[in-house]
Amino acid sequence: MNFGRDKLIKYGLVATLAIAAAFPFLSDSMFLLNLLVLMLISIIFASAWNLLAFSGQGSLGHAAFLGIGAYASTLIAIQSGISPFITIFLGATVAAFIGVLIGLTCVRLKEWFLAMVTFGFAIIVQALTVSVLAPMTGGWDGIASPRLVSPSIPGYQLIEYYAILVITIASLIAIWYIMKSRLGLAFLAIRENELEARASGVDPVRYRLIAFAMSAYLAGVAGALQIHHIGYITPELYGVDNSFWPITFVILGGLGTLAGPVIGTIVLTIIWEGLKATGLTFGRYVIVGFILILTIIFLPKGLVNLPERLQVWWRGRGRKETFVEPQRE
Amino acid sequence: MDDIGIFLQILFWGLYAGCIYILLATGLNLIFGVMKIVNFAHGEFLMIGAYITATIFLLTGINPYVILLLSMLALIGIGAVVERLCFRPILGTGKLNEIFLSIGLIYVFQNGAAMVWGDAWQSVKSPYDGITVPVGSLNVPIDYIIIIAFTAAILIALFIFLKKTRIGMEMRATSQNRKGAMLIGINVERIDVISFGIGCALAAAAGTLWVVSGQVFNPYMGSIPAVKAFAIIILGGLGSIPGAIIGGLLMGIAENSAAFYLGGVWKDAVSFIILIVVLVVRPTGLFGEKGE
Repeated sequence: MNFGRDKLIKYGLVATLAIAAAFPFLSDSMFLLNLLVLMLISIIFASAWNLLAFSGQGSLGHAAFLGIGAYASTLIAIQSGISPFITIFLGATVAAFIGVLIGLTCVRLKEWFLAMVTFGFAIIVQALTVSVLAPMTGGWDGIASPRLVSPSIPGYQLIEYYAILVITIASLIAIWYIMKSRLGLAFLAIRENELEARASGVDPVRYRLIAFAMSAYLAGVAGALQIHHIGYITPELYGVDNSFWPITFVILGGLGTLAGPVIGTIVLTIIWEGLKATGLTFGRYVIVGFILILTIIFLPKGLVNLPERLQVWWRGRGRKETFVEPQRE
Repeated sequence: MDDIGIFLQILFWGLYAGCIYILLATGLNLIFGVMKIVNFAHGEFLMIGAYITATIFLLTGINPYVILLLSMLALIGIGAVVERLCFRPILGTGKLNEIFLSIGLIYVFQNGAAMVWGDAWQSVKSPYDGITVPVGSLNVPIDYIIIIAFTAAILIALFIFLKKTRIGMEMRATSQNRKGAMLIGINVERIDVISFGIGCALAAAAGTLWVVSGQVFNPYMGSIPAVKAFAIIILGGLGSIPGAIIGGLLMGIAENSAAFYLGGVWKDAVSFIILIVVLVVRPTGLFGEKGE
């Protein structure tokens, strides 16, 4: 029973990419295509959150950066008439800048203070959007946002889908490089032991801020994509729900891994849409809550760890005492 | 003259809102002190407490201030079960894990409650509705005064419990030094369950007082007060009960002033602005010693 882990990942990756690329030719359901687009955006968002968690910082208010990226991109596109393809990245830069400011307030604090500050920050940004900034943002009613690809172009949904697919893949490759590089190593060092990291010359404050900027940037990209895909933006985007979803996706998939957010998002989206078919409303959230709790308790490394756990179980079956609970990092 | 009247009114609202925050924050402080866990789902216990009180009151018509005790007892049980099944298995695996687990709890409790009671805003009329007491230049609903008195009574009872009873002393010992407590023969896991239960009971009391004041409630009411309660215990300094009381009152008053002078959307935002400012200026909180 020795199926190579690397091989498994490689085949899985190729198969996922092939399905994603060929999907529009397999099915012409606009509903599924739309779902797939939203799923890709969720993957970017969850990966952004995961990158921050990779450096040991858990944010409970990532919807703030989703929203800032979306609003900034929309407003720039409306004011200047630049194509949304460019304003996405400008909006994300604004999100990254604000992310650094928020990061600055809590880099020196305990890890869970950051959770509170970010949670509160999402509420503050929402309050700003509907009060002081209302003349620009349209308050609670929101404003129309330019579409990523104008609906007047034939087959615009397909173009949009492939554009978003390319951006998603590019984001994942970028995250992969970051995780493999010295930067990723520094994040890991800070997460595992801040004191030792400092002793070996890694400045925790600097690297935490870098992680914050990159995570907020990607979240901003996800937000801008989502809003240019839907074509309308409201302050609901800052909601608590949007802050909690990436956490659920990442925990289910596997915290701190590249594949975790992708697998978690895909699996949970399938479960979520499947439950929708059964007509559950609140029940769906209860089930998601149970999935989250059970994952944390019984599968702390997420679904990416499942093959390994099964292998250990397979080898150890019959011999009770050899099963060793995998140590948490 | 009119300005002073409005100011007093805001002060009273703040005092009343502060009572609810104090009860929540004290419960959280107790749990954090003993177990060192961060439970963002604490507000869900407030919500369950509120619904238990409202349901029993609507079904039987018993005075809601009596149901307070029932609701607190029920929440001791629910809290003990949650602690045993959810938090004990992950104790010591890191603060972030606890936060993520509490998000799961938030999903389960909020939407479970919505399945049972529906997600519409509801409200209950207290039996003393409409009776007011003149305080200075303004008429204060008698319910507010009862609520403030109940909060004070609960806090005094808690104080005596912690200082005088054996379990209370064991709780304080565990919160000061968990290993030391184990060494002198305290069953810290039992203390964990008890503290979590008492913390939840305090949240239930807050929920009950929320309901009897005539405020609207729905299954999603708990999450923001819970995070605010955390803000309060950080403001007041971790583990400091007087700090939590002063922090709670300040937060209640600041919030109601902001809602009145700046508009309703700022009610929630202002507490977090205060929190961020305090954390930047004084990371150990206003009355904190050295933190955790």
